[in-house]
Amino acid sequence: MATLARVIPPNVRPEQVFDFDIYADPRIDDDVQGSYSAVLKAAPDIFWSPLNGGHWVVQRHDLIAEIVKNPTVFSAREMQIPRVENPPFFIPLSVDPPENVPYRHVLMPKFSPRAVSEMEPRMRAMAAEIVAEVADKGKCDFIHDVAARFPVSVFMEVMGLPLERLHDFRSIADTYFKARTSEQIQASSQQIFGIFNELLDYRRDNPGTDLLTHFLTVDMGEGRRLSHEEILAMCFVLFLGGMDTVTNVTGFSVQHLAGDPALQARLAADPSLAGKFAEEGLRMFGVIGTPRLVVKDFDDHGVAFRKGEMVLCALWQSGRDPAKLDDPDRFDIDRGAMPHYNFSTGPHLCLGHALARTEMRILVEEWIKRVPSFRAVEGAHHGFRIGTVIALESLPLEWTVA
Amino acid sequence: MVRVRYRTADGIEGAFDASPGLSLMASAKAAGIDGIEAECGGSMVCATCQVYVAEAWLSTLEPPSEMEAEMVEYTRHPRPNSRLSCQIVMSEALDGIEIELPPSQR
Ligand code: HEM
Ligand code: FES
Repeated sequence: MATLARVIPPNVRPEQVFDFDIYADPRIDDDVQGSYSAVLKAAPDIFWSPLNGGHWVVQRHDLIAEIVKNPTVFSAREMQIPRVENPPFFIPLSVDPPENVPYRHVLMPKFSPRAVSEMEPRMRAMAAEIVAEVADKGKCDFIHDVAARFPVSVFMEVMGLPLERLHDFRSIADTYFKARTSEQIQASSQQIFGIFNELLDYRRDNPGTDLLTHFLTVDMGEGRRLSHEEILAMCFVLFLGGMDTVTNVTGFSVQHLAGDPALQARLAADPSLAGKFAEEGLRMFGVIGTPRLVVKDFDDHGVAFRKGEMVLCALWQSGRDPAKLDDPDRFDIDRGAMPHYNFSTGPHLCLGHALARTEMRILVEEWIKRVPSFRAVEGAHHGFRIGTVIALESLPLEWTVA
Repeated sequence: MVRVRYRTADGIEGAFDASPGLSLMASAKAAGIDGIEAECGGSMVCATCQVYVAEAWLSTLEPPSEMEAEMVEYTRHPRPNSRLSCQIVMSEALDGIEIELPPSQR
């Protein structure tokens, strides 16, 4: 994409320009979020990158909150950088307030703090089972064998999706996140819709207590039912949001843990620290950036945002803001506060924030119980992807079986 | 300034000043009170800003909207006197209000 012409519109001042290729910047290395943080230390708090069609990047904790909480200027209805012809439509993600609210309320019964805590025993059993499959082997690819399987299994249980389809689902999601052109995006969205159409047909005849059945039967007020299109648009974002995100944040966090035997020993001696570990992992290793479309001219913080421009909120930078905490690039589970917006905030705050946190905590607890001491396989190449989603491609670990 | 008295789930008591016109959530955050997460910053989608309002003060508050009443049900530890602190707008009439914080927000 960096092959596109560089774009610098007249409203952008020279000192606001900082070249950064969000899809392939060569300065980003294996310490993805750490190198991001290092590279962007030289960039203004809000800067214009002329690459990928040209767009703003917002990289500070408090500024990010201002953007995502101002939907009348910064709309969520388009999220592609560069802009594409037929952007995918997600519910509730592409819907600005107040129209998003009824949809959030439809989803809440399955994702609320309370619903998640009620699911905890079942989640723990699933985590224990997945960990048990590798614990005696002395080695595994943590991404493929553990971090990908667990959150996807939990999500599929919530949604009422058959587990046999796990492999299909993952590879389609991968293709989607790698897609760049509008043809690629359209093609992989069609595949995702195809799977959900099939499952909705099934649930229409075989209702259960799952989310798809809830979508088919919920009363939206005065007897209105959700349309098929609305249901698909919700399934679409749930599918993409629930697949990759937990896998990647957990992967990056455990990659860090693999290199810190003292922290492993502490967690093994006191598993109740897993919650703190998960939160510090979330702060350090954000994986989502949220694009917004400027829908009306707006001047603030010395920046002239102009209608039609794209803005990327680099959420992974929010937890590494030196204005919010000391030594932000250091992993430290003993910090009091761990401020970050890796779940965003405002009207589109991640619906799955309670679920994701609980999943991470439980998986780490179950892992450390069975594998109290482990290390990364020396010399192995892990691989990563950057973009509006950051991913860790593999994490080969080894340990001594007791 | 409007005085807010609070008690944590562990029984620790304290007080802070809120600004009329601001929400109770924003005031508590500004005062650095722990125990109110308010992940969504007042957009009424997170249900992590719950407080229990002392019975004597409940009737002084504007009643919850239908949406708030529903969201409260999704909090981790709902009670009959649960409210979302982001939906309570502070005013002089609330000077001295007593609240309790839940054992956890999520
Ligand atoms: C650590 C894991 C996760 C991270 C870092 C994460 C991050 C985010 C972020 C940053 C947003 C806001 C996007 C925007 O405003 O443009 C978001 C939205 C969303 N997330 Fe997550 N997420 C995670 C896990 C999950 C899970 C497990 C689910 C559900 C199964 C989920 C479902 C959603 C949904 C439905 C939205 C759209 C909410 C709306 O627009 O109202 N997420 N997520
Ligand atoms: S702050 Fe999110 S509901 Fe009150």
